[in-house]
Amino acid sequence: MADKVPSEFDVVVIGTGLPESIVAAACSRSGQSVLHVDSRSYYGGNWASFSFSGLLSWIKEYQEESDGDEWAAWQELLLEAEEGVALRKKDQTIQHVEVIRYASQDSDEHVEEVGAVQKNPAPVTSASSNDPPDSTGTACSDTSELTAPLNEPETSQEVPDVDVTLGNESHGGDTDCTESPLEQEKAENVPVGEAVVDVPKKNRITYSQIVKEGRRFNIDLTSKLLYSRGLLIDLLIKSSVSRYAEFKNVTRILGYREGTVLQVPCSRADVFNSKQLTMVEKRMLMKFLTFCLDYEQQPEDYKAYEECPFSEYLKTQKLTPSLQHFVLHSIAMTSEGCTGTLDGLRETQNFLRCLGRYGNTPFLFPLYGQGELPQCFCRMCAVFGGTYCLSHAVQCLVVDKESGKCKAIIDHFGQRISAKYFIVEDSYLTEKTCSDVAYRQMSRAVLITDRSVLKAESDQQISILTVPPVEPGSAAVRVIELCSSTMTCMKGTYLVHLTCPSSKKTAREDLESVVQKLFTPYAEAELENEEVEKPNLLWALYFNMRDSSGINRDSYNDLPSNVYVCSGPDCFLGNKNAVQQAETLFRHILPNEEFCPPPPNPEDIVFDGDGMQPEVPAPKPEAAEDVTSQGDAEEHSEE
Amino acid sequence: MRRPLPVSEGESAGGGQLAQELLPGARMDEDVLTTLKILIIGESGVGKSSLLLRFTDDTFDPELAATIGVDFKVKTISVDGNKAKLAIWDTAGQERFRTLTPSYYRGAQGVILVYDVTRRDTFVKLDNWLNELETYCTRNDIVKMLVGNKIDKEYREVDRNEGLKFARKHSMLFIEASAKTCDGVQCAFEELVEKIIQTPGLWESENQNKGVRLSHREESHGGACGGYCSML
Ligand SMILES: Nc1nc2c(ncn2[C@@H]2O[C@H](COP(=O)(O)OP(=O)(O)O)[C@@H](O)[C@H]2O)c(=O)[nH]1
Ligand SMILES: [Mg+2]
Repeated sequence: MADKVPSEFDVVVIGTGLPESIVAAACSRSGQSVLHVDSRSYYGGNWASFSFSGLLSWIKEYQEESDGDEWAAWQELLLEAEEGVALRKKDQTIQHVEVIRYASQDSDEHVEEVGAVQKNPAPVTSASSNDPPDSTGTACSDTSELTAPLNEPETSQEVPDVDVTLGNESHGGDTDCTESPLEQEKAENVPVGEAVVDVPKKNRITYSQIVKEGRRFNIDLTSKLLYSRGLLIDLLIKSSVSRYAEFKNVTRILGYREGTVLQVPCSRADVFNSKQLTMVEKRMLMKFLTFCLDYEQQPEDYKAYEECPFSEYLKTQKLTPSLQHFVLHSIAMTSEGCTGTLDGLRETQNFLRCLGRYGNTPFLFPLYGQGELPQCFCRMCAVFGGTYCLSHAVQCLVVDKESGKCKAIIDHFGQRISAKYFIVEDSYLTEKTCSDVAYRQMSRAVLITDRSVLKAESDQQISILTVPPVEPGSAAVRVIELCSSTMTCMKGTYLVHLTCPSSKKTAREDLESVVQKLFTPYAEAELENEEVEKPNLLWALYFNMRDSSGINRDSYNDLPSNVYVCSGPDCFLGNKNAVQQAETLFRHILPNEEFCPPPPNPEDIVFDGDGMQPEVPAPKPEAAEDVTSQGDAEEHSEE
Repeated sequence: MRRPLPVSEGESAGGGQLAQELLPGARMDEDVLTTLKILIIGESGVGKSSLLLRFTDDTFDPELAATIGVDFKVKTISVDGNKAKLAIWDTAGQERFRTLTPSYYRGAQGVILVYDVTRRDTFVKLDNWLNELETYCTRNDIVKMLVGNKIDKEYREVDRNEGLKFARKHSMLFIEASAKTCDGVQCAFEELVEKIIQTPGLWESENQNKGVRLSHREESHGGACGGYCSML
């Protein structure tokens, strides 16, 4: 149905990252009419997860030359008493994208990801021609020239095996912009219905298999975990958004010391069962961790060190060097010299408090990837009436000259959509608006490997590993290794995410030394022809992502007072920043409303006079429990 | 300001992959064989929400689209002597601009694909829906039921044979129905569930990749704080 977007809302949210999605859900939940748009064809922005082919499309998008960053037409659409604040046409937050393929192509030249193949090509309508073959979302219709489809990167099949720096690749003119001829052509070569590939016993996974099983991958652009007592978990539970997601416990905390990967015991049981620790060390660690659990009670123990780095403080405690190392890097998850004693104690306490709520480590990971989380909040927003449009770009904000307030947006069709409040993700703002903003960068690597960095009885492990910096003072590298039961990679492979704040020019320069410490490139492994200790590297992606967190509102130029900015993902492990931002914005917009209360019991909703405007009564905190019991009680049993 | 009316029941209505023991009320349903996640997809306005509410609540509201955002409904049905608890998910209107979240599709065992027999465009778009299903569904053996809705209306653009042919071509079950008159509605859901139960490996809990579901209840395995608190 060629529906037209309504032209009036209470709140317009631009960008579908986690903070924007939480605000959208909160506003919608409080009865505001919400329009939530994203110029991209998928949910999540830099918080998204992709299938393998989806990720290849994403990579290709960032290697394409910018076709001008300015919108042309909006000026003419302004009235006398208005001015416009332009928004960005093309995202600039991702840089230095490099792909390296290690696994060999096998003889089967025509493998194509099953999910990406259009087995029954739809008649070319405006909607279908704009649907990217496999991004994590589908496009809005009628957007022909603004959203060129992300075609399957044909390059992936033909380039030489090693060192493909996609940024330098040239592009042939054979990429049609309205259809994917490649897709249709290849479809004929694919046996219909074939889907599951048996992974060869000898762990010889080929690139073709990765492509073919590409749908099994959900590769996060941003790699984070949820603290089991963190703000995000609390919000998910309180708002009942948790019903839209499932999680896995992180099973292991790993440490890296003297060239080897070790498991760090953290729960009481772990400490007692540890084979690495001596009896004396076990007692030392237990004693220290028990103290950290409520260190505030014994200020005399750390008062003198408040001004010192945490690492110095640890030296004064009865801990062996290896215990100090693990407390610093794997429990407090901080680096030498970077964190003060108080912060270190607080982080350690937080870690311990989160232990045991859902499992043996303090962390949870969402099944199907971090990219599920923004989508869950978007669904909540939609359930309460929010309107969703992807592939829907916004040209400018319309500002009323007299009041200085934003009154509308003009979208890519030139349609004017008015609202009272506007929430814009940082990456949509132009250089003009952000000229005084100093952004930091993050370095990211995504690896597909064939084995875990630390062998264990079960091969289904989810691990977090902190690799300390080589040079003191620089940042540690956070490594999160996911197994196939997290639904983020194919059977027989592991998906490994590396993250650190950027210090060198490119992500590859920042991270490659750590990658080399932990993994062996596939080709070399073949040469050595012996049981290699380290896991093999099948495929690697490096990129830099802009860290727009922590920017003061005043740093942006000419921001109307009813326009609020959300940042992209930050470098931290948890999601605290996203939740705090969303709650702060929500309180500005609706100071008297509760933030994401539990959904009401359907039976409590009362219609007023004309039957068209149901009033949702103020939900009581305990309502969520009622929903459960009543919902269950009311099931009709048909017999 | 329009206040939509949300409808959802049950705290955890995932799919079969959700651990029975974590399901609130699971104790009461000891005789329930399995919990299934069923999706309803199709173009906006074809009657997806109406079919859902007709099936679960036996209601029909001609003004439905204007007021209600449906989340999901839970209903237990009995097929061939087996009780199955269905969590039936609606699109929450996100299909309107073709922006259903991929996460909507996760872990579903069955899908009801709806078109409107009075609107050919909704029939033509079925290919797109199958494509999206293929892309985001986590399993290859998901059971599909094609429903041609609104057969109570006199006017028609898609005749029964066309629907049947399309369903055959794509190995789907097929039925024509009317959410208004109740025709075929019960049958659509029952046959879908029957087929799911007959499909080995699709619903048995040992085949599901169990995840943790968060709820208001405190789960604690071995106490909070990794056992440290208990020392104090
Ligand atoms: N005559 C008739 N109208 C129907 C039937 N099913 C739904 N409708 C109407 O079609 C409109 C759209 O229905 P809705 O369930 O909201 O469609 P959805 O967008 O697919 O969820 C509403 O006005 C319904 O009352 C049906 O079987 N017969
Ligand atoms: Mg509906």
